[in-house]
Amino acid sequence: MQDEAASRVLVCIQCGKCTGGCPESGRTPFNIRMLVRKKQFSYTIDESIPWYCTACNACTIRCPRDVKPSEVVIDIRSTLVENGDIPLAIQKALENTFVQKNPWGKPRSKRGEWAGKLNFKVPHISETEHKRLLFLCCVHAYDPRCMVIPVNVATLLHRAGYEFGILGEEECCCGNEIRRIGELGLFEELMEENKTNFKEYGVKEIIALSPHCMNTMKNEYGDTGIKVMHYTEVLSGLIKEGALKPHKPFEKEIIYHDPCFLGKQNKIFEEPRDILKSINNTNLKEFSRSKEISLCCEGGGGRMFFEVETHYKRNSETRVEEAQSKGVEIITTACPFCVMTLEEKAVEKGLAVKELSEILMEVI
Amino acid sequence: MSYALIISEVRRGVFEERNLDSIGMAHLAGKDAFLLIPEGNYNLNNSIVNKIIKAKLEESLFLNPLIITELISKIIGTLGAPEIVIFTHSSSGIELASYLAGKMSLPIITDVSGYDRNEQIFFKSYYSDKVFGQFKKAKESPLVITVRSGSFKDHVTEKGKNAEEITVDGPSGIEERSFVEYVEEEKTGVDITKAEFLLSLGRGIGNKDEIPKFEELANLMKATISGSRPVIDKQWLPKERQVGTSGKTVKPKVYLAMGISGAFQHIAGMKDSECIIAVNKDPEAPIFQYAHYGIVADANKIRDKLKDLLQG
Amino acid sequence: MDILVFVKRVAATQEEELRLIDDGKNIDLSKIPFKMNDWDNYAVEEAVKIVEGQGGSVTAISIGSAESDEVLRRAIAMGSKDGILMETQEAIHDPALRAQAIYNFLKKEDIKFDAIFTGVQSEDDQFAATGGILAGKMDLPYASMVIGIDAIENGYFVLRRELEGGLQERIKIKAPCILSIQSGINEPRYVSIMGIRKASKVERKTFKFNDFASRGDAIIDLIKWSYPEKKGGATMLTGEMDEICKEILEILKKKGVC
Repeated sequence: MQDEAASRVLVCIQCGKCTGGCPESGRTPFNIRMLVRKKQFSYTIDESIPWYCTACNACTIRCPRDVKPSEVVIDIRSTLVENGDIPLAIQKALENTFVQKNPWGKPRSKRGEWAGKLNFKVPHISETEHKRLLFLCCVHAYDPRCMVIPVNVATLLHRAGYEFGILGEEECCCGNEIRRIGELGLFEELMEENKTNFKEYGVKEIIALSPHCMNTMKNEYGDTGIKVMHYTEVLSGLIKEGALKPHKPFEKEIIYHDPCFLGKQNKIFEEPRDILKSINNTNLKEFSRSKEISLCCEGGGGRMFFEVETHYKRNSETRVEEAQSKGVEIITTACPFCVMTLEEKAVEKGLAVKELSEILMEVI
Repeated sequence: MSYALIISEVRRGVFEERNLDSIGMAHLAGKDAFLLIPEGNYNLNNSIVNKIIKAKLEESLFLNPLIITELISKIIGTLGAPEIVIFTHSSSGIELASYLAGKMSLPIITDVSGYDRNEQIFFKSYYSDKVFGQFKKAKESPLVITVRSGSFKDHVTEKGKNAEEITVDGPSGIEERSFVEYVEEEKTGVDITKAEFLLSLGRGIGNKDEIPKFEELANLMKATISGSRPVIDKQWLPKERQVGTSGKTVKPKVYLAMGISGAFQHIAGMKDSECIIAVNKDPEAPIFQYAHYGIVADANKIRDKLKDLLQG
Repeated sequence: MDILVFVKRVAATQEEELRLIDDGKNIDLSKIPFKMNDWDNYAVEEAVKIVEGQGGSVTAISIGSAESDEVLRRAIAMGSKDGILMETQEAIHDPALRAQAIYNFLKKEDIKFDAIFTGVQSEDDQFAATGGILAGKMDLPYASMVIGIDAIENGYFVLRRELEGGLQERIKIKAPCILSIQSGINEPRYVSIMGIRKASKVERKTFKFNDFASRGDAIIDLIKWSYPEKKGGATMLTGEMDEICKEILEILKKKGVC
């Protein structure tokens, strides 16, 4: 993977389309075009710079020469990881993931605790017929704010009569963020552990709650023969089939924020919107930058575990301000990282952030 | 005669308060308390021990493991072996106790925080107090222990008469280990990880103008100010004051959290504090799950009231 | 300078509630991951830093089950030259027994060193005693709570020990000696999985713990474990603002901070 990245930088023509689409450029010292340039000539790179990247992938999507600048960042980071030249907060996240299989170092034995909040029992994947796995994500398993999301989705699937199972404490971090931090060895270990479980229990489909987990399992786990989906794909299907009926009205002005790993990286734009449109009396608005050009919330690429030093206006604030100017009451999205980054700024300005499943629970 | 030999800890001329736990331990075990102390004038109630053994040597030599071991073996030569040798569980206590135990092949139990007198069982912490191990010595011999500060001082009783005092000559200094000087830790800026008392502020305080009023309170309470991420982000407080996964991990004696709801990332940075007091308007705030004391109230109102009380 | 560093594999229990089993005779650690003892991590880093500066070697030694090889590999990835395992399946609860075995091992195998580093304590039993007992047995100078090594000159370490309340003492100690390293003395480097994999290729020698000491040599006995007295969640202070604030000040006074 690293050799590939090194060879790709040589075809870069320095057109700057990457920087033009980068959510960090201009406001922060991060300049992705310069980074590729420095890599071309093997110049030294200030080790604090690569950590600004949020791994949104806008650069790679826009690049006319297929340089994959976002992979160049991973390449640079992986060298820093091998040398141990990494910010302390990133180091902690990696060490935690090594020991407890989640970046926060929460006990692995409590990974399945969320299921205790359900009023029905979710079977272990081995006890299911269809071998459909609901994959949690570390954030959903441990963060008190986000723990409601798996509870909601599990409840909705259950009501629709859709059979699924979980791995409980056997599940480990998907490695999406770990790979983007540049710890490729650790990513491999996590991937192998998850794949071993998938194989042992004969998993056929994965319903990922987080777009980040979905992305890596779908695109980076190699040929597993498993169909990987985001939960919004499954729920929008169930609504279309009539298995789930959002019958109560939701009389609110809402706006949908496209998560980078769901939208621009995996082209899932319509399913979340279809779900929202199926709700009565809801007025769904759009950001000026939406879908392919949605503005990154800055929660990806390891940024959930690491604060960059400089003070500048966060994208989440820009996003919330736009939502406010459009007169909406609620920002909705379908990614736990987006929920956390947006909510912080939204609360200050008197707006609410609701994860899509939270809205669905109110209308079904 | 069975007695407990208590090795007192004196630092820069002060008889440390935690020595009372060593004395309390001796009383709880029903042993005569013999206190070994370097010569000097200390603020010490000499009716709470049976004997005071004054050693003619400086404090810095007294707290040297190589020297105190020699001193103790000399005392044993004169007074006979004690039943138990008690140190404080402190930086010097663990150093002295373990070296003594090794040198004289004595059994040792450290960080003792409980004692069952009938069974002669000592309780010591495992895994940061999650469980306690119950230990007994397995050999007929004096036992060396270090006792946890705050565990036994309530067992100290007055003997009704002043202790008998004896003086022993101390060994002279040695070159293998020698004291150079005391060093106060450098104070470059503020290091919130070193503070014993943190007054930590969160978004709930409202706006930046409230900060100076909290600084006044911090001065009155001799607390150091820290904050949660939103407060740092808004530049109400500098980055070096940030508690949490993206800031610093702190373990003060008291963490007074005002207007902090307790995001996961924040909790990770302060949950091991000895005592957490949380003030928040929201009774459902997650911080209450981690706090020892909780107050559902407006942080600014509590602040003003505390200031009033402190200013008398 | 040749430095031996003792490293221990411990259960990562910080966030776990521990369960006692077999009537308090055992702690259920079956579902808990293990890691290198935090203090030992600092000790390895400090030793490696010294050797990187002035030459010599670091050898990591662990007493424990075969799985303790994990922490040896980690120590090697951090910069140790090699690793030694003194293998024993059963946990050892007496630091004197531990020190006796190390003493016999170093003598019998004729291991040469200029200094021995240990962590101040281990996260599991928190004895903070092995280094000191070993020093006493070996008749070597000892210092614990080492928070800074300022110089190594003419066969002496000039170092700082952490005392209480922000105070430190500077001392001079003659090598060979035993130092117990306090956490925070340095910032231990990150070792990547790739680094640990490479370390797997470095030879680690294994000895049997029982060849150097037997469990019957223990001079204290662990009878059983028990739970601490229960503390409920937060005690909520209610009532008039005035009373609440007085209560807060009372708590601060009791804790000795105000």
